[in-house]
Amino acid sequence: MSQQTTFLDRHHFLLRRLHSLSGIVPIGLFLIAHLTTNSSILWGKLGLRGEHPEFSWSQGGAAYFAKEVVWINEQVPHLFLIELTLWLSIGFHAVLGTIYALTGRMNTSAYPYGANKRYRLQRASGYIGILFIFYHVATLRWGWTFLIPGGTAWSHNFASSTLAAALRGGEEFTAMGMVVSAFYFIGVSLLVFHFANGLWTAAITWGLTVSRAAQQRWGYVCAGLGAGLMAMAWASVIGFAMHSPAAAREVETKMHPDAAAMPQTP
Amino acid sequence: MEKTAAANRTVRLRIKRCDGPGKPSRWEEFRVPIEPGSNVISCLQAVAANPVTVEGTQTTPVVWDSGCLEEVCGACTMVINGKVRQSCSCLIDDYVTGNDDVITLEPMSRFPVVRDLWVDRARMFHNLKRIKAWVPLDGTYNLGPGPREDAATAERRYVLSTCMTCGCCLEACPQFDLEPDPATWDTSFVGAQVFGQAQLFNDHATSRQHAGERLDVLMGPGGINDCGNAQNCVQVCPKHIPLTQAIGAIGRAATIHAFVRFFRG
Repeated sequence: MSQQTTFLDRHHFLLRRLHSLSGIVPIGLFLIAHLTTNSSILWGKLGLRGEHPEFSWSQGGAAYFAKEVVWINEQVPHLFLIELTLWLSIGFHAVLGTIYALTGRMNTSAYPYGANKRYRLQRASGYIGILFIFYHVATLRWGWTFLIPGGTAWSHNFASSTLAAALRGGEEFTAMGMVVSAFYFIGVSLLVFHFANGLWTAAITWGLTVSRAAQQRWGYVCAGLGAGLMAMAWASVIGFAMHSPAAAREVETKMHPDAAAMPQTP
Repeated sequence: MEKTAAANRTVRLRIKRCDGPGKPSRWEEFRVPIEPGSNVISCLQAVAANPVTVEGTQTTPVVWDSGCLEEVCGACTMVINGKVRQSCSCLIDDYVTGNDDVITLEPMSRFPVVRDLWVDRARMFHNLKRIKAWVPLDGTYNLGPGPREDAATAERRYVLSTCMTCGCCLEACPQFDLEPDPATWDTSFVGAQVFGQAQLFNDHATSRQHAGERLDVLMGPGGINDCGNAQNCVQVCPKHIPLTQAIGAIGRAATIHAFVRFFRG
């Protein structure tokens, strides 16, 4: 044994396996739920189940999303505990993941095999993912509006319109808004990859998939899940970015007639 | 054969040289005559016989390590055109087709250089000792016949037993780094070679009794969890050892071992 043993060394196995587990539960599980909710901007009309038959497909999306957001904030019990669990898990996964990633030396140019490229992308998507999640939570959850072009504050009652405005940089697309939208598109795509690929490697880590054939079969399952989540992720980003804030606001006002005030756009 | 028919064909060897541990490295280029069937070792022998660079400078013969010359000892492993492999089985014609083309030779980067293309692979043998990569038989009295090996297990283990400790899997691994100080070896990543050998002996009817001790070592720092699943090991293994399968098997054994240890003590 080396002379100095660090905390990481003493609890090596537990921390490594918790890092693996935390990426699946709760983070991965939350990602699935989060993308399902967000992609409803595209399929929300179906979710209304005949409610508001007068709404168009696009209006249905904004209406259903508004309903979902209100449900999450008013009906989900112990929302704060759920958020706390997520923050701690993501923080733990991010800090340990960065420490672990820094022990690697990329060599994809000499050994350009598929798994080696995924190894590299897993680490790159982790780094960019941390930045993206921080920006995403800081702007839309903590209200750091100075980081949002146009300065729109996200509001529960006007979920779709304020999100669309935050992505666009205002009522209409601005140059900075396009940068934000592109960052969202790249960020969510990389995180979906990170989850799907992490699910594939976790099966080897835990010894679920041992033989090459099993790893390949599980690879197809992970790729399928990843493709589905990627479709939902793209539907969310593109769906909100292309949604007119004004049109969404109209729907939201109808959905929440008692909402205190319209969101201010400074 | 047609492509090698040209008479007086030559190849240029661009070699990364180093005079000794800790000394700076430099590049030197040698022009060597080749014939059909020439390999890197035969070219290095030609360099040793006439150590003159392409610029005409007299230099020292290039040092390399080799043993069997038939890809079973692993000693002549080096990085050829950026990729690790045995130099004895490396035919020149598989790499160059023209005349006076260049082949680059470097020592492995994850092991300390002794001189030129010769590296010190002691860390691999140190790690084999750490995981007790043997069948325990020594004692003061006759232990009698061991348990029978069934044919399926023997077949599974055979391919693992062909590991020649060459270091290809470690050289290509993005998680395995050069550790010149042996004091760090017990906590730095052991790499695929060790997982393959741990599996070879954990699967052995007699050596299985050490399985728990092996897993205790492999569950610590530098063990199985430090694997990043880049899977280069299995791609570069000259013996086609299913190293990623061994990694999965050790991972599974470690998972079970951890649960058993947690609940049973």
